[in-house]
Formats: sequence, C-alpha cells, structure tokens
Amino acid sequence: MELFANLAHGFAVAFSPMNLLMCLIGALVGTLVGVLPGIGTIATVAMLLPITFGLPPVGALIMLAGIYYGAQYGGSTTSILVNIPGEATSVVTALDGFQMAKQGRAGPALAIAAIGSFFAGCVATVLIAVLGAPLTKLALAFGPAEYFSLMVLGLIFAVVLAKGSVLKAIAMIVFGLLLSMVGSDIETGASRMAFNIPELADGLGFATVAMGVFGFAEIIRNLDAGSEMNRDLVQQKITGLMPTRKDIADSTPAILRGTVLGSILGILPGGGAVIASFAAYTLEKKLAKNPSRFGRGAIEGVAAPESANNAAAQTSFIPLLTLGIPPNAVMALMVGAMTIHGIVPGPQVMQKQPDLVWGMIASMWIGNLMLIIINLPLVGIWVRLLRVPYRLMFPSIVIFCSIGIYSVNNAPVDVILAGVFGLVGYWLIKHDFEPAPLLLGMVLGPLMEENLRRALLISRGDWSVFISRPLSAVLLAIAGGLLLLAVLPALRAKRDEVFVESES
Amino acid sequence: MSDTPSQAQVKSILPKWVRGPQDFVGGIALMAIAVFALWASSDLQGMHGFSFGAGTAPRMFAVLLLLLGAAIALTGILNEGPPIAAYSWRGPFFVALSILFFALAIRPLGLVVSAFSSFLIAALGSHETKWLEAIIVGACLTLGCALLFPYVLGLPMPMFPRFLIQ
Repeated sequence: MELFANLAHGFAVAFSPMNLLMCLIGALVGTLVGVLPGIGTIATVAMLLPITFGLPPVGALIMLAGIYYGAQYGGSTTSILVNIPGEATSVVTALDGFQMAKQGRAGPALAIAAIGSFFAGCVATVLIAVLGAPLTKLALAFGPAEYFSLMVLGLIFAVVLAKGSVLKAIAMIVFGLLLSMVGSDIETGASRMAFNIPELADGLGFATVAMGVFGFAEIIRNLDAGSEMNRDLVQQKITGLMPTRKDIADSTPAILRGTVLGSILGILPGGGAVIASFAAYTLEKKLAKNPSRFGRGAIEGVAAPESANNAAAQTSFIPLLTLGIPPNAVMALMVGAMTIHGIVPGPQVMQKQPDLVWGMIASMWIGNLMLIIINLPLVGIWVRLLRVPYRLMFPSIVIFCSIGIYSVNNAPVDVILAGVFGLVGYWLIKHDFEPAPLLLGMVLGPLMEENLRRALLISRGDWSVFISRPLSAVLLAIAGGLLLLAVLPALRAKRDEVFVESES
Repeated sequence: MSDTPSQAQVKSILPKWVRGPQDFVGGIALMAIAVFALWASSDLQGMHGFSFGAGTAPRMFAVLLLLLGAAIALTGILNEGPPIAAYSWRGPFFVALSILFFALAIRPLGLVVSAFSSFLIAALGSHETKWLEAIIVGACLTLGCALLFPYVLGLPMPMFPRFLIQ
C-alpha cells in the first residue's frame, strides 16, 4: 500500500543521525519550555525560528515540531508535581494531577500522563498519514472561492473556540487582517501603510508580532503579578512510577476518548491543544459515574486532557500540510519557517517534498517515543529548574528574544517593532482581548486577500460566486451556522462553563 | 505597590453612563486604530471595474474594524462590565527601554555590550532584583549568547563596539 511505502520512506528520512538529533533537541527544548511558566510555545517557536535558518529544511521543521509537542509533555510534569501549569494546555491537568501528587501518587499520575500522551501521539501520527493523501486530493479541487470560504470557516472556528466575547474575538481577527495589509500589495506592488519605512515594505513579520504579543507582553504581565510569582515548591518525593492495575483500567477509556476528541479538535482550524484539553476534561467529568471525584485526584482527569492536548498538537499539522492553511498560531509560525526555506505550504508540498512531509510525520512518532523514555527519569531535573527565580529568568528571556528577532533580518527596527507589539499585547490583555485570533488573522490575511481578489477576477466581479459554487457554499453555510450557534444564549452558557472550569 | 494607579482615579475620567469601562475604552481604541488605517490607506487606489485595487482590502478591513470597535464600545455602555484593570508602569517601562536600548545599540556597540546592558535595564523592571546576582547571571548569559549565535549557529552579528575594532 502507498501509505506504508510513504511511512517507510518517512522513517528512513527521520532515522538519519542528523534528523534524530534535531528531533531530540526539539523535544528537549520543548519540554524545557513546557516546564518553565511564563514563556509559551508560541514565543519559543518564534524565538527559535532564526536558529533553524542554518539547518536543512527537513531538520528545521522536525525540530520545530518537536518543540511544539515536547511542550505539551513538559507542561504536564509541573502541573502534576507543583501545581504550576507550564503551558496553557496543562491547566486542567493540574486540577487532578496535583491532588494525586499530594496523596503521594505523583508517580502514577506522571506515568499515566506520559502513556496517554504517547498513545495519543501514535494515533495522531497514523491519522496524519492516512488523511494526508485524500485531503490533498480534495485540496486540488479547490479554487480561489473555496479557499477563501475555507479560511472564513477557519477564522469563525477560531472565534467560536476562543475564550470570552465573540465580538471581541472577531475584532481581534479583523485587527490581525488589517495588520497583514501593511507592506507591498501582491498584485500592484504599491506600498500600503508602510510610511516609507523600508523595513515595513515587506510587511510586518509575524515572528516579530508573535514575539511581541506573546513573548514580551507575557513577561510584562507576569511582572505585574510581582511577588505573587514566588513559587513555593512542595518537595515531592516520587515513589514508584508504576500505576496500579486499577489506574490503568480507569484511565484506558479516558485516554481513548481524549485521543479522539483531541484529534478532531486539532484538525479543526482555530482549535488546537488548549481547547482540546479543556474539552476532554469536561467530557470525562460529564461521563463519570461519580463526578465529585474530579478535583480530588481522579486519574481520568489527568489521562484525558493529556492525551487530548498531545493528539491535538499533532493533528493540527494536517490542515497545514494538506491545504496550506495554518489552524493555529504555532502552525502559522511553521508556515513562516517553511517559507524561509523556500517551501510554499499547500497541496503541492506532499507531492513535491515527500522527504519533508513524511520525514516530519515519522519524526513525530520517534519524538514521542524519545519523550516518554527521556522524561520520566529527568523529572527531578525539571522540577529543580522551577527553582530559578523569575527575577533572573525574565531579563534572560527579554535578551534572548531581542537577539532572536534581530537575527531574523539583521534589522534593529524589527526589535523595536516587537517591543511596540509587546506593549500593544499588554494593553490587549488588560482589556480582555485574546491575542491568538489576532495572529491567526494576520497570517491568513494575505492568503485571504489573494484568493478573494482572484475569485472575483474569475467571476468578473460577481460576488455570488461564493454561494453558487457548491463546495464554497457548504463551507460558508457551516461558518454561518457556527457563528449563529456561538451567539445563541444556550450554547454560550455551555461554552462559558467550559472556560470557567479551567480557571477554578 | 506605589506604581499602580488607583482604579478610582481612572474611573473618574469616564462619565457615569459608561458601565463597562474595559469594553468601552477597548472599543474606542480599536475605532481609533481603524480610523488611522483608513487615513493611512487613503492614498491607495480603490476598485477599478471589478478588480480590486491596492487600497480596497485594507479599507474594507478598516471599516469592518471600525464597526466592530463601535459595537464593543456600545456593549461597554449598555452592559455592566469590569473596570479598567490596574496598570503598573515599572515592568512595561523598563522592559520596553531594554528592548529599545538593544535595538539601538546592537549595530554600533555589538552583541556583548548591548546584551549585558539590556539585561541590567530589564532587571530594573522588577523590584525583587538583587544586583550581584543579576550581574553574574547577566554576564553568563551574555557569554552564552556570544558563543551560541555567531559561532554555533553561524548568524552574522557584530560582537564588540565598532570603535574598539577600528
């Protein structure tokens, strides 16, 4: 079968010593970032983009992918041991994981989190391999009108799944779209809103904006919290990693459900790992015979979200690799990484760059295996890392980010812009605007404009082309339906409930 | 903390009929951004026939943002909402200053000087900073970056101040 031939080819690529090393570095760095609170996945991937410039494209993307799913692992470790979620994706893991640790069952909690993640990773890897080819064929049938409608759908998904006000999320997307307009017009080459600043002629780099809005803004906000950031570490002694037979029996269905839910939410644009872990936790609580156990050390409360976030982290590569549309901000940065290496993401990539696509897919499985082997013995080291006080960590992150941005284009202006966007991001946080839809809008902006213009050019200015073409009409109808659902009061209440859960 | 402006002070600027200041101010600011974008893209060509000009899409999105900003501001008037969150000046100010210093210093002064100084400027942003500790860590970090970026990663970057090399 073609599938196995492809996977075999992928493993051949991924098992080269260089790529194995890249995978290992990525997974380790990802875990490190996942462990350290105050620096998220998006900022890290943005920060490490320049590091991958000198690497061959396959190695670079393998490493970046490793950072992404490695962070999901690392985040769970600190959630369980010290009740500090290193990543937004493991916030819910802390609810039950930390309770388990308090009861002296940190070992089984960590083991189940790792096993669940690994299982989810395996399933997601196969899913990418299976869905890749058919989706690519579908994508080839897409014209500009369909692409435009698909991106509208993706943005609506981002709105529905974003936290808080629907109106504010849409506003953030439009703000992002507007920011993406800065720079040269694709068709006429006219300079738009660039104010004759040469560095803006190519547009605002989204690595710059991402680093500002997610990196610098996060640092500034953490400084606000001041001495609350002091982490009183409970020194937990981890005795016995092995889960009991009952633990395994309890968590197996939770892992399966978490994996399915995570895989679906990962593929959907706008979803991603954060929402997957929330949703999985809520689902388990709903299904449980005795929901009051949750929050008091129920092992399902660790197994389900951890499987879900890892599955989602990996399946979010599917829309990127097949349609060329990034479903979330991290994938948007991956587009950046691919573009820098001269690869245009989209349906052609699977055919033109089989090494890259299948090598990356295979490396994800290898990376997951590495993580499960490396991380359990290293737990002690990760916990000790948490002792590094924030007063020393934040200037280091500032410097590292600054050097990173500077090295992208050797442009000091980029560093200043990132600083400005840091302040903008801080302001957005203060006014309860979510920065993630902004970045998604910014990345999809040029693609949307291009396809909109092309679709209208082909239809000779007839806007009905988006409804008269069946595929496009279906996509728009789904988008409209989703938006309606999100605004309807009944569903709104439910949606808010999910988020309230995560904050308690 | 002395560096957090009191909420009452901020609130008093806004009239009483603003019931959700956070949304109201947020919406107004987005409207301002949209108006600015409209002005900035006003010199660009619009639609000609049925094909888009360079300015069509930016103006389209700007108008959309204007409407959305207005809607958000309106919810701030109609609905009870949270007050404006307290800002502190110290963290944002010194972190921004550190970034600005780095951007201006990297070309003429090189990586070593600018990274180390920026580290110390950023450290001013927290009142918990202990100086001896910060200087040691800053020096180690500078050394690490000076080895990592130009040598290990091969990214070209000036290392030392220009006047020392010449």
